[in-house]
Amino acid sequence: MSYYEFFCPVKVIAGQAALEHVPYEFSSRNCKRPMIVTDKGVRAAGLLDKVLTAFEEGGMDVTVIYDDVPADSSKQTVKAIAKEYRSKKCDAILAIGGGSPIDTAKAVNILVSEGGDDIAKYSGAGVLTRPLKPFIVIPTTAGTGSEVTSVAVIADTEKEVKLAFASSFMLPDAAVIDPRMTLTLPPHITAATGMDAMTHSVEAFTCMAKNPLSDAYASAAIKKISANLPKVMKKPDDAEARLEMAQASTMAGIAFSNSMVGLVHALGHSLGAICHLPHGLCMSLFLPYVLEYNLESIREPLSELLLPLAGPEIYAMTPKSQRAEESIATIRKMRDDLYRDCKLPRTLQETGKVDKSQLDRIAQATIDDGSIMFNPREATLEDARAVLEKAWG
Amino acid sequence: MIRERLRPLASQAKRGYVRLMLEVVGRSMEAISQVDEQVRGEVSVLPNGFLFAMRVMPNGPALVMRKQRDGSLQYIGGDSAQKPDLSVQFKHLHHAFMVLSFQEKTAQAFANDRILVDGDLGYATRMTRVLNRLETFILPKLVAERAVKQYPDSLGLPEKLINGARIYLKVVTNFVDTVRSS
Ligand SMILES: [Fe+2]
Repeated sequence: MSYYEFFCPVKVIAGQAALEHVPYEFSSRNCKRPMIVTDKGVRAAGLLDKVLTAFEEGGMDVTVIYDDVPADSSKQTVKAIAKEYRSKKCDAILAIGGGSPIDTAKAVNILVSEGGDDIAKYSGAGVLTRPLKPFIVIPTTAGTGSEVTSVAVIADTEKEVKLAFASSFMLPDAAVIDPRMTLTLPPHITAATGMDAMTHSVEAFTCMAKNPLSDAYASAAIKKISANLPKVMKKPDDAEARLEMAQASTMAGIAFSNSMVGLVHALGHSLGAICHLPHGLCMSLFLPYVLEYNLESIREPLSELLLPLAGPEIYAMTPKSQRAEESIATIRKMRDDLYRDCKLPRTLQETGKVDKSQLDRIAQATIDDGSIMFNPREATLEDARAVLEKAWG
Repeated sequence: MIRERLRPLASQAKRGYVRLMLEVVGRSMEAISQVDEQVRGEVSVLPNGFLFAMRVMPNGPALVMRKQRDGSLQYIGGDSAQKPDLSVQFKHLHHAFMVLSFQEKTAQAFANDRILVDGDLGYATRMTRVLNRLETFILPKLVAERAVKQYPDSLGLPEKLINGARIYLKVVTNFVDTVRSS
Protein backbone atom coordinates (compact mmCIF):
# COMPACT_ATOMS: atom_id res chain seq x y z
CA MET A 1 0.00 0.00 0.00
CA SER A 2 1.32 3.43 -0.84
CA TYR A 3 1.71 6.50 1.31
CA TYR A 4 1.99 10.10 0.19
CA GLU A 5 1.84 13.70 1.32
CA PHE A 6 0.51 16.57 -0.73
CA PHE A 7 0.80 20.20 0.25
CA CYS A 8 0.16 23.47 -1.54
CA PRO A 9 -0.85 26.40 0.64
CA VAL A 10 -0.10 28.99 -2.07
CA LYS A 11 -3.04 31.24 -2.89
CA VAL A 12 -3.36 31.31 -6.67
CA ILE A 13 -4.56 34.62 -8.11
CA ALA A 14 -5.06 34.08 -11.82
CA GLY A 15 -6.58 35.64 -14.88
CA GLN A 16 -7.51 39.01 -16.24
CA ALA A 17 -6.39 42.00 -14.12
CA ALA A 18 -4.76 39.71 -11.57
CA LEU A 19 -1.94 42.23 -11.03
CA GLU A 20 -4.41 44.72 -9.58
CA HIS A 21 -4.94 42.37 -6.65
CA VAL A 22 -1.35 42.57 -5.48
CA PRO A 23 -1.59 45.78 -3.38
CA TYR A 24 -4.54 44.33 -1.50
CA GLU A 25 -2.70 41.07 -0.85
CA PHE A 26 0.10 43.01 0.82
CA SER A 27 -2.07 45.41 2.81
CA SER A 28 -4.23 42.53 4.02
CA ARG A 29 -1.05 41.04 5.47
CA ASN A 30 -0.27 44.35 7.14
CA CYS A 31 2.71 45.03 4.88
CA LYS A 32 3.57 48.59 3.97
CA ARG A 33 7.03 48.39 2.42
CA PRO A 34 7.36 45.46 0.05
CA MET A 35 10.68 45.09 -1.74
CA ILE A 36 10.57 44.13 -5.41
CA VAL A 37 13.14 41.59 -6.58
CA THR A 38 13.42 41.26 -10.35
CA ASP A 39 15.83 41.43 -13.28
CA LYS A 40 16.77 43.76 -16.08
CA GLY A 41 14.86 41.75 -18.67
CA VAL A 42 11.60 42.19 -16.78
CA ARG A 43 12.16 45.92 -16.52
CA ALA A 44 13.18 46.24 -20.18
CA ALA A 45 10.06 44.36 -21.30
CA GLY A 46 7.94 46.94 -19.49
CA LEU A 47 6.55 44.36 -17.08
CA LEU A 48 7.81 46.14 -13.99
CA ASP A 49 5.92 49.25 -15.08
CA LYS A 50 2.69 47.30 -15.28
CA VAL A 51 3.15 46.14 -11.70
CA LEU A 52 4.16 49.60 -10.47
CA THR A 53 1.11 51.11 -12.13
CA ALA A 54 -1.08 48.58 -10.35
CA PHE A 55 0.54 49.60 -7.06
CA GLU A 56 0.16 53.29 -7.71
CA GLU A 57 -3.48 53.00 -8.67
CA GLY A 58 -3.95 50.82 -5.63
CA GLY A 59 -2.62 53.56 -3.38
CA MET A 60 0.57 51.76 -2.32
CA ASP A 61 4.04 53.18 -2.79
CA VAL A 62 6.87 50.87 -3.73
CA THR A 63 10.26 52.51 -3.54
CA VAL A 64 12.66 49.66 -2.98
CA ILE A 65 13.38 47.79 -6.19
CA TYR A 66 16.28 45.45 -6.86
CA ASP A 67 16.27 44.82 -10.61
CA ASP A 68 19.69 43.34 -11.13
CA VAL A 69 19.29 39.62 -10.42
CA PRO A 70 21.62 37.72 -12.80
CA ALA A 71 20.47 34.69 -14.79
CA ASP A 72 22.38 32.36 -12.50
CA SER A 73 21.85 33.89 -9.11
CA SER A 74 24.65 33.49 -6.59
CA LYS A 75 25.29 33.62 -2.86
CA GLN A 76 26.68 37.14 -3.28
CA THR A 77 23.52 38.42 -4.99
CA VAL A 78 21.37 37.06 -2.18
CA LYS A 79 23.58 38.68 0.41
CA ALA A 80 23.50 42.05 -1.36
CA ILE A 81 19.72 42.08 -1.70
CA ALA A 82 19.22 41.08 1.94
CA LYS A 83 21.43 43.97 2.98
CA GLU A 84 19.35 46.37 0.90
CA TYR A 85 16.13 44.98 2.39
CA ARG A 86 17.38 45.56 5.92
CA SER A 87 18.75 49.03 5.34
CA LYS A 88 15.51 50.17 3.70
CA LYS A 89 13.42 48.55 6.46
CA CYS A 90 11.22 46.56 4.11
CA ASP A 91 8.56 44.23 5.48
CA ALA A 92 7.69 41.92 2.57
CA ILE A 93 9.04 40.65 -0.75
CA LEU A 94 7.54 40.67 -4.23
CA ALA A 95 9.41 38.61 -6.81
CA ILE A 96 8.75 39.31 -10.48
CA GLY A 97 10.44 37.14 -13.09
CA GLY A 98 11.43 33.64 -14.09
CA GLY A 99 13.24 31.06 -12.02
CA SER A 100 16.22 33.17 -11.09
CA PRO A 101 14.50 36.19 -9.47
CA ILE A 102 12.03 33.86 -7.74
CA ASP A 103 14.71 31.55 -6.35
CA THR A 104 16.77 34.56 -5.35
CA ALA A 105 13.82 36.12 -3.55
CA LYS A 106 13.16 32.88 -1.69
CA ALA A 107 16.75 32.80 -0.50
CA VAL A 108 16.64 36.49 0.42
CA ASN A 109 13.52 35.79 2.44
CA ILE A 110 15.43 33.18 4.44
CA LEU A 111 18.22 35.62 5.26
CA VAL A 112 15.98 38.58 6.16
CA SER A 113 13.71 36.38 8.28
CA GLU A 114 16.29 34.16 9.95
CA GLY A 115 19.27 36.52 10.04
CA GLY A 116 22.88 36.23 8.94
CA ASP A 117 24.73 36.86 5.69
CA ASP A 118 25.65 33.39 4.51
CA ILE A 119 22.82 31.62 2.72
CA ALA A 120 24.87 28.41 2.45
CA LYS A 121 24.19 27.89 6.15
CA TYR A 122 20.55 27.14 5.36
CA SER A 123 21.06 24.73 2.47
CA GLY A 124 19.46 21.32 2.61
CA ALA A 125 15.96 20.28 3.55
CA GLY A 126 14.00 20.83 6.70
CA VAL A 127 16.44 23.38 8.11
CA LEU A 128 13.83 26.11 8.58
CA THR A 129 11.37 25.75 11.41
CA ARG A 130 9.12 28.79 11.26
CA PRO A 131 7.30 31.05 8.78
CA LEU A 132 9.26 33.70 6.89
CA LYS A 133 8.27 37.24 5.81
CA PRO A 134 5.22 37.74 3.57
CA PHE A 135 6.19 36.82 0.05
CA ILE A 136 4.31 37.12 -3.23
CA VAL A 137 5.44 35.96 -6.65
CA ILE A 138 4.51 37.12 -10.15
CA PRO A 139 5.97 34.66 -12.68
CA THR A 140 6.90 36.10 -16.07
CA THR A 141 7.86 32.84 -17.75
CA ALA A 142 5.51 29.92 -18.12
CA GLY A 143 7.83 27.16 -17.05
CA THR A 144 9.71 27.00 -13.80
CA GLY A 145 6.71 26.63 -11.52
CA SER A 146 8.88 28.22 -8.82
CA GLU A 147 5.89 30.24 -7.62
CA VAL A 148 4.49 27.08 -6.03
CA THR A 149 7.59 25.15 -5.09
CA SER A 150 9.30 24.92 -1.75
CA VAL A 151 12.78 24.75 -3.23
CA ALA A 152 15.37 27.17 -4.50
CA VAL A 153 18.73 26.72 -6.16
CA ILE A 154 21.48 29.28 -5.72
CA ALA A 155 24.95 29.03 -7.24
CA ASP A 156 28.05 28.92 -5.12
CA THR A 157 30.23 30.48 -7.80
CA GLU A 158 33.52 29.80 -6.02
CA LYS A 159 32.95 26.07 -5.70
CA GLU A 160 31.02 25.86 -8.99
CA VAL A 161 28.22 23.96 -7.28
CA LYS A 162 24.55 24.69 -6.84
CA LEU A 163 23.21 25.03 -3.34
CA ALA A 164 19.75 23.54 -2.91
CA PHE A 165 17.24 24.74 -0.36
CA ALA A 166 14.02 22.99 0.54
CA SER A 167 11.41 23.94 3.10
CA SER A 168 7.68 24.44 2.94
CA PHE A 169 8.26 27.77 4.70
CA MET A 170 9.83 29.05 1.48
CA LEU A 171 6.53 28.72 -0.37
CA PRO A 172 5.11 32.09 -1.38
CA ASP A 173 1.91 33.33 0.25
CA ALA A 174 0.45 34.01 -3.17
CA ALA A 175 1.23 33.42 -6.86
CA VAL A 176 -0.18 35.97 -9.26
CA ILE A 177 -0.77 34.74 -12.80
CA ASP A 178 -1.63 37.54 -15.18
CA PRO A 179 -1.61 36.90 -18.94
CA ARG A 180 -0.03 40.33 -19.53
CA MET A 181 3.16 39.13 -17.86
CA THR A 182 3.99 36.41 -20.41
CA LEU A 183 2.65 38.11 -23.52
CA THR A 184 6.02 39.48 -24.63
CA LEU A 185 8.12 36.42 -23.83
CA PRO A 186 10.43 35.84 -26.83
CA PRO A 187 9.89 32.61 -28.81
CA HIS A 188 12.98 30.69 -27.69
CA ILE A 189 12.26 31.39 -24.01
CA THR A 190 8.60 30.51 -24.51
CA ALA A 191 9.70 27.22 -26.01
CA ALA A 192 12.37 26.37 -23.43
CA THR A 193 10.26 27.27 -20.39
CA GLY A 194 7.28 25.44 -21.90
CA MET A 195 9.43 22.33 -22.14
CA ASP A 196 10.50 22.84 -18.52
CA ALA A 197 6.83 22.77 -17.47
CA MET A 198 6.33 19.71 -19.67
CA THR A 199 9.28 17.98 -18.00
CA HIS A 200 7.97 18.83 -14.54
CA SER A 201 4.67 17.17 -15.39
CA VAL A 202 6.16 14.12 -17.07
CA GLU A 203 8.71 13.51 -14.30
CA ALA A 204 6.08 14.11 -11.60
CA PHE A 205 3.90 11.50 -13.30
CA THR A 206 6.63 8.90 -13.76
CA CYS A 207 9.00 9.23 -10.79
CA MET A 208 9.05 7.49 -7.45
CA ALA A 209 6.96 9.88 -5.39
CA LYS A 210 4.03 10.11 -7.78
CA ASN A 211 0.66 10.17 -6.04
CA PRO A 212 -2.99 10.58 -7.06
CA LEU A 213 -3.12 14.33 -6.43
CA SER A 214 0.13 15.21 -8.17
CA ASP A 215 -0.93 12.89 -11.03
CA ALA A 216 -4.11 14.92 -11.51
CA TYR A 217 -2.21 18.20 -11.72
CA ALA A 218 0.49 16.71 -13.94
CA SER A 219 -1.76 15.19 -16.57
CA ALA A 220 -3.99 18.29 -16.68
CA ALA A 221 -0.89 20.45 -17.16
CA ILE A 222 0.38 18.22 -19.99
CA LYS A 223 -2.95 18.53 -21.78
CA LYS A 224 -2.78 22.33 -21.58
CA ILE A 225 0.86 22.49 -22.71
CA SER A 226 0.36 20.12 -25.65
CA ALA A 227 -2.59 22.18 -26.85
CA ASN A 228 -1.25 25.68 -26.19
CA LEU A 229 2.50 25.64 -26.70
CA PRO A 230 2.06 25.36 -30.51
CA LYS A 231 -0.49 28.20 -30.33
CA VAL A 232 1.76 30.66 -28.52
CA MET A 233 4.66 29.74 -30.79
CA LYS A 234 2.54 30.64 -33.80
CA LYS A 235 0.74 33.61 -32.31
CA PRO A 236 2.76 35.09 -29.44
CA ASP A 237 0.09 37.65 -28.49
CA ASP A 238 -2.66 35.06 -28.01
CA ALA A 239 -3.56 36.12 -24.45
CA GLU A 240 -5.89 33.19 -23.91
CA ALA A 241 -3.21 30.64 -24.85
CA ARG A 242 -0.61 32.54 -22.80
CA LEU A 243 -2.84 32.30 -19.74
CA GLU A 244 -3.31 28.57 -20.39
CA MET A 245 0.46 28.10 -20.55
CA ALA A 246 1.00 30.12 -17.38
CA GLN A 247 -1.62 28.10 -15.53
CA ALA A 248 -0.18 24.85 -16.85
CA SER A 249 3.21 25.88 -15.56
CA THR A 250 1.80 26.55 -12.10
CA MET A 251 -0.07 23.25 -12.14
CA ALA A 252 3.07 21.41 -13.21
CA GLY A 253 4.87 23.18 -10.37
CA ILE A 254 2.28 22.00 -7.86
CA ALA A 255 2.64 18.47 -9.25
CA PHE A 256 6.40 18.16 -9.13
CA SER A 257 6.84 19.97 -5.83
CA ASN A 258 4.73 17.20 -4.33
CA SER A 259 6.22 14.28 -6.18
CA MET A 260 9.72 15.42 -7.06
CA VAL A 261 11.57 15.09 -10.34
CA GLY A 262 14.16 12.63 -11.59
CA LEU A 263 17.04 12.01 -13.93
CA VAL A 264 16.09 14.68 -16.51
CA HIS A 265 16.55 17.29 -13.82
CA ALA A 266 19.68 15.68 -12.39
CA LEU A 267 21.29 15.77 -15.85
CA GLY A 268 19.87 19.20 -16.60
CA HIS A 269 21.13 20.76 -13.37
CA SER A 270 24.61 19.42 -14.11
CA LEU A 271 24.65 20.48 -17.75
CA GLY A 272 23.32 23.91 -16.81
CA ALA A 273 25.96 24.40 -14.15
CA ILE A 274 28.90 23.25 -16.25
CA CYS A 275 27.98 24.61 -19.70
CA HIS A 276 25.86 27.58 -18.61
CA LEU A 277 22.80 26.66 -20.65
CA PRO A 278 19.29 27.77 -19.62
CA HIS A 279 17.39 25.28 -17.48
CA GLY A 280 14.40 24.87 -19.80
CA LEU A 281 16.63 24.07 -22.74
CA CYS A 282 18.49 21.47 -20.65
CA MET A 283 15.15 19.80 -19.86
CA SER A 284 14.18 19.67 -23.51
CA LEU A 285 17.58 18.21 -24.41
CA PHE A 286 17.28 15.25 -22.07
CA LEU A 287 13.58 14.48 -21.74
CA PRO A 288 13.11 11.86 -24.50
CA TYR A 289 16.43 10.13 -23.82
CA VAL A 290 15.73 9.75 -20.12
CA LEU A 291 12.23 8.43 -20.84
CA GLU A 292 13.84 5.84 -23.12
CA TYR A 293 16.30 4.94 -20.39
CA ASN A 294 13.52 4.64 -17.78
CA LEU A 295 11.07 3.00 -20.18
CA GLU A 296 10.69 -0.43 -18.63
CA SER A 297 10.20 1.04 -15.15
CA ILE A 298 7.59 3.56 -16.28
CA ARG A 299 5.78 1.85 -19.14
CA GLU A 300 2.39 2.02 -17.48
CA PRO A 301 2.29 5.70 -16.44
CA LEU A 302 4.02 6.77 -19.64
CA SER A 303 1.35 4.93 -21.67
CA GLU A 304 -1.35 6.82 -19.77
CA LEU A 305 0.31 10.10 -20.67
CA LEU A 306 -0.30 9.55 -24.36
CA LEU A 307 -3.88 10.76 -23.85
CA PRO A 308 -3.02 14.27 -22.59
CA LEU A 309 0.04 14.42 -24.87
CA ALA A 310 -1.52 13.47 -28.18
CA GLY A 311 -5.28 13.60 -27.66
CA PRO A 312 -8.03 10.96 -27.66
CA GLU A 313 -7.84 9.98 -31.36
CA ILE A 314 -4.20 9.04 -31.35
CA TYR A 315 -4.53 7.44 -27.92
CA ALA A 316 -7.39 5.25 -29.14
CA MET A 317 -5.61 4.37 -32.37
CA THR A 318 -2.42 3.29 -30.65
CA PRO A 319 -2.28 -0.31 -29.37
CA LYS A 320 -1.76 -0.49 -25.63
CA SER A 321 1.67 -2.06 -26.00
CA GLN A 322 2.85 0.88 -28.12
CA ARG A 323 1.52 3.80 -26.10
CA ALA A 324 4.63 4.44 -24.03
CA GLU A 325 6.80 4.54 -27.17
CA GLU A 326 4.22 6.78 -28.84
CA SER A 327 4.38 9.19 -25.89
CA ILE A 328 8.12 9.51 -26.39
CA ALA A 329 7.59 9.97 -30.14
CA THR A 330 5.06 12.74 -29.45
CA ILE A 331 7.57 14.55 -27.27
CA ARG A 332 10.22 14.18 -29.96
CA LYS A 333 7.81 15.62 -32.51
CA MET A 334 7.16 18.54 -30.16
CA ARG A 335 10.91 19.19 -30.03
CA ASP A 336 11.20 19.00 -33.80
CA ASP A 337 8.43 21.60 -34.11
CA LEU A 338 10.17 23.88 -31.64
CA TYR A 339 13.41 23.47 -33.57
CA ARG A 340 11.57 24.48 -36.71
CA ASP A 341 9.87 27.45 -34.98
CA CYS A 342 12.76 28.94 -33.05
CA LYS A 343 15.82 26.72 -33.44
CA LEU A 344 15.51 25.29 -29.94
CA PRO A 345 18.35 22.73 -29.97
CA ARG A 346 17.42 19.06 -29.75
CA THR A 347 20.82 17.58 -29.05
CA LEU A 348 23.86 18.61 -27.06
CA GLN A 349 25.68 18.97 -30.34
CA GLU A 350 23.10 21.36 -31.73
CA THR A 351 23.59 23.72 -28.77
CA GLY A 352 27.12 24.47 -29.95
CA LYS A 353 27.95 25.17 -26.30
CA VAL A 354 28.91 21.71 -25.11
CA ASP A 355 32.26 20.07 -25.65
CA LYS A 356 32.34 16.29 -25.76
CA SER A 357 35.17 16.29 -23.24
CA GLN A 358 32.76 17.76 -20.67
CA LEU A 359 30.42 14.75 -20.67
CA ASP A 360 32.36 12.89 -17.98
CA ARG A 361 32.17 15.82 -15.64
CA ILE A 362 28.47 16.28 -16.33
CA ALA A 363 27.86 12.58 -15.61
CA GLN A 364 29.78 12.83 -12.35
CA ALA A 365 27.77 15.88 -11.25
CA THR A 366 24.56 14.11 -12.24
CA ILE A 367 24.92 11.28 -9.79
CA ASP A 368 25.59 13.83 -7.06
CA ASP A 369 22.40 15.72 -7.79
CA GLY A 370 19.59 15.31 -5.28
CA SER A 371 16.97 14.76 -8.01
CA ILE A 372 18.49 11.44 -8.99
CA MET A 373 17.19 9.85 -5.82
CA PHE A 374 13.61 9.82 -7.06
CA ASN A 375 14.32 8.52 -10.52
CA PRO A 376 12.45 5.21 -10.93
CA ARG A 377 15.63 3.46 -12.13
CA GLU A 378 18.75 3.50 -10.03
CA ALA A 379 21.09 5.40 -12.33
CA THR A 380 24.80 4.76 -12.06
CA LEU A 381 27.64 6.89 -13.38
CA GLU A 382 27.80 4.66 -16.46
CA ASP A 383 24.05 5.03 -17.03
CA ALA A 384 24.27 8.82 -16.84
CA ARG A 385 27.20 8.74 -19.24
CA ALA A 386 25.24 6.56 -21.67
CA VAL A 387 22.23 8.91 -21.66
CA LEU A 388 24.58 11.85 -22.27
CA GLU A 389 26.08 10.01 -25.20
CA LYS A 390 22.61 9.53 -26.73
CA ALA A 391 21.68 13.14 -26.05
CA TRP A 392 24.88 14.24 -27.77
CA GLY A 393 23.21 13.44 -31.10
CA MET B 1 -6.99 -6.39 27.36
CA ILE B 2 -4.40 -8.48 25.63
CA ARG B 3 -3.85 -5.82 22.98
CA GLU B 4 -3.12 -3.27 25.64
CA ARG B 5 -0.40 -5.44 27.04
CA LEU B 6 1.10 -6.45 23.76
CA ARG B 7 1.39 -3.02 22.21
CA PRO B 8 4.04 -1.53 24.44
CA LEU B 9 5.93 -4.77 24.18
CA ALA B 10 5.85 -4.56 20.42
CA SER B 11 7.03 -0.98 20.33
CA GLN B 12 9.76 -1.84 22.79
CA ALA B 13 10.83 -4.59 20.48
CA LYS B 14 10.77 -2.16 17.57
CA ARG B 15 12.92 0.31 19.44
CA GLY B 16 15.32 -2.43 20.43
CA TYR B 17 15.49 -3.68 16.88
CA VAL B 18 16.12 -0.23 15.43
CA ARG B 19 18.83 0.53 17.99
CA LEU B 20 20.53 -2.76 17.29
CA MET B 21 20.24 -2.44 13.53
CA LEU B 22 21.69 1.05 13.56
CA GLU B 23 24.71 -0.35 15.30
CA VAL B 24 24.89 -3.25 12.85
CA VAL B 25 24.63 -0.83 9.95
CA GLY B 26 27.24 1.48 11.47
CA ARG B 27 29.78 -1.28 12.06
CA SER B 28 29.18 -2.90 8.69
CA MET B 29 29.47 0.44 6.95
CA GLU B 30 32.83 0.97 8.62
CA ALA B 31 34.02 -2.45 7.47
CA ILE B 32 32.71 -2.15 3.94
CA SER B 33 34.06 1.37 3.48
CA GLN B 34 37.56 -0.08 4.04
CA VAL B 35 37.36 -2.63 1.28
CA ASP B 36 34.58 -2.05 -1.22
CA GLU B 37 35.63 0.07 -4.20
CA GLN B 38 32.10 1.16 -4.99
CA VAL B 39 31.49 2.41 -1.48
CA ARG B 40 34.93 4.03 -1.39
CA GLY B 41 34.07 5.78 -4.63
CA GLU B 42 30.89 7.18 -3.13
CA VAL B 43 32.63 8.25 0.06
CA SER B 44 35.64 9.75 -1.73
CA VAL B 45 33.72 12.93 -2.54
CA LEU B 46 32.87 13.69 1.09
CA PRO B 47 35.23 16.12 2.81
CA ASN B 48 37.58 14.78 5.48
CA GLY B 49 35.99 14.69 8.92
CA PHE B 50 32.51 14.73 7.36
CA LEU B 51 29.95 13.67 9.97
CA PHE B 52 26.92 11.65 8.88
CA ALA B 53 24.10 10.91 11.28
CA MET B 54 21.00 8.79 10.93
CA ARG B 55 18.51 9.26 13.70
CA VAL B 56 14.97 8.56 14.79
CA MET B 57 12.95 11.62 15.76
CA PRO B 58 12.56 13.08 18.29
CA ASN B 59 15.28 11.61 20.51
CA GLY B 60 15.42 8.08 19.28
CA PRO B 61 18.32 5.83 18.50
CA ALA B 62 20.98 7.18 16.17
CA LEU B 63 24.10 6.23 14.30
CA VAL B 64 26.98 8.57 13.57
CA MET B 65 29.76 8.01 11.02
CA ARG B 66 32.85 10.08 10.30
CA LYS B 67 34.83 10.21 7.07
CA GLN B 68 38.46 9.34 7.81
CA ARG B 69 41.62 10.63 6.19
CA ASP B 70 42.19 7.21 4.60
CA GLY B 71 38.88 7.47 2.78
CA SER B 72 36.91 5.11 4.98
CA LEU B 73 33.97 5.74 7.28
CA GLN B 74 34.42 5.34 11.00
CA TYR B 75 31.55 4.31 13.23
CA ILE B 76 31.44 6.90 16.02
CA GLY B 77 28.56 5.36 17.91
CA GLY B 78 25.05 6.28 18.80
CA ASP B 79 25.65 9.98 19.23
CA SER B 80 28.10 12.80 18.79
CA ALA B 81 28.52 16.13 20.50
CA GLN B 82 29.32 17.82 17.19
CA LYS B 83 26.57 18.85 14.79
CA PRO B 84 26.59 16.45 11.84
CA ASP B 85 27.23 17.79 8.31
CA LEU B 86 24.47 15.57 7.01
CA SER B 87 21.71 14.15 9.10
CA VAL B 88 18.84 12.03 7.90
CA GLN B 89 16.03 11.73 10.39
CA PHE B 90 13.18 9.29 10.37
CA LYS B 91 10.00 11.10 11.35
CA HIS B 92 8.88 8.15 13.42
CA LEU B 93 10.31 5.01 14.92
CA HIS B 94 8.01 2.95 12.72
CA HIS B 95 9.49 4.36 9.50
CA ALA B 96 13.01 3.57 10.70
CA PHE B 97 11.83 0.10 11.53
CA MET B 98 10.36 -0.40 8.06
CA VAL B 99 13.59 0.69 6.37
CA LEU B 100 15.95 -1.12 8.70
CA SER B 101 13.96 -4.32 8.50
CA PHE B 102 14.26 -4.01 4.71
CA GLN B 103 10.51 -3.77 4.19
CA GLU B 104 10.78 -0.29 2.66
CA LYS B 105 13.57 0.93 0.39
CA THR B 106 15.58 3.88 1.63
CA ALA B 107 14.90 5.94 -1.49
CA GLN B 108 11.21 5.10 -1.24
CA ALA B 109 11.24 6.32 2.36
CA PHE B 110 12.69 9.62 1.12
CA ALA B 111 10.09 9.77 -1.65
CA ASN B 112 7.30 9.10 0.82
CA ASP B 113 8.35 11.92 3.13
CA ARG B 114 9.25 9.51 5.91
CA ILE B 115 12.71 11.02 6.24
CA LEU B 116 13.95 14.57 6.80
CA VAL B 117 17.32 15.60 5.41
CA ASP B 118 19.45 18.26 6.99
CA GLY B 119 22.44 18.97 4.79
CA ASP B 120 23.48 18.56 1.18
CA LEU B 121 20.98 16.55 -0.86
CA GLY B 122 23.71 15.29 -3.18
CA TYR B 123 25.57 13.83 -0.21
CA ALA B 124 22.30 12.31 0.96
CA THR B 125 21.90 10.45 -2.34
CA ARG B 126 25.48 9.21 -2.02
CA MET B 127 24.85 7.90 1.48
CA THR B 128 21.65 6.25 0.23
CA ARG B 129 23.67 4.39 -2.37
CA VAL B 130 26.14 3.34 0.32
CA LEU B 131 23.25 2.01 2.40
CA ASN B 132 21.85 0.15 -0.61
CA ARG B 133 25.22 -1.40 -1.27
CA LEU B 134 25.48 -2.34 2.37
CA GLU B 135 22.15 -4.10 2.26
CA THR B 136 23.26 -6.31 -0.56
CA PHE B 137 26.19 -7.36 1.59
CA ILE B 138 24.58 -8.01 4.91
CA LEU B 139 21.26 -9.39 3.78
CA PRO B 140 21.81 -13.15 4.06
CA LYS B 141 19.72 -14.19 1.06
CA LEU B 142 21.24 -11.57 -1.15
CA VAL B 143 24.82 -12.40 -0.40
CA ALA B 144 25.68 -14.09 -3.63
CA GLU B 145 28.73 -16.29 -3.92
CA ARG B 146 30.13 -13.88 -6.49
CA ALA B 147 30.19 -11.11 -3.92
CA VAL B 148 32.11 -13.25 -1.48
CA LYS B 149 34.64 -14.16 -4.14
CA GLN B 150 35.57 -10.54 -4.50
CA TYR B 151 36.88 -10.60 -0.95
CA PRO B 152 39.93 -12.85 -0.52
CA ASP B 153 41.07 -14.29 2.82
CA SER B 154 43.47 -11.47 3.44
CA LEU B 155 40.54 -9.26 4.31
CA GLY B 156 39.89 -11.18 7.47
CA LEU B 157 38.79 -8.35 9.65
CA PRO B 158 35.99 -6.84 7.59
CA GLU B 159 34.75 -10.26 6.65
CA LYS B 160 34.54 -11.10 10.30
CA LEU B 161 32.60 -7.92 10.86
CA ILE B 162 30.27 -8.63 8.00
CA ASN B 163 29.77 -12.14 9.28
CA GLY B 164 29.14 -10.62 12.67
CA ALA B 165 26.54 -8.39 11.14
CA ARG B 166 24.83 -11.38 9.60
CA ILE B 167 24.76 -13.12 12.94
CA TYR B 168 23.29 -10.00 14.48
CA LEU B 169 20.70 -10.03 11.77
CA LYS B 170 19.64 -13.53 12.65
CA VAL B 171 19.20 -12.50 16.26
CA VAL B 172 17.25 -9.41 15.45
CA THR B 173 15.03 -11.16 12.93
CA ASN B 174 13.26 -12.47 15.99
CA PHE B 175 12.40 -8.90 16.88
CA VAL B 176 10.82 -8.44 13.49
CA ASP B 177 8.71 -11.53 13.95
CA THR B 178 7.61 -10.33 17.37
CA VAL B 179 6.61 -6.94 16.01
CA ARG B 180 4.95 -8.26 12.88
CA SER B 181 2.82 -10.73 14.76
CA SER B 182 1.36 -7.99 16.93
FE1 LIG C 1 12.69 22.31 -14.03
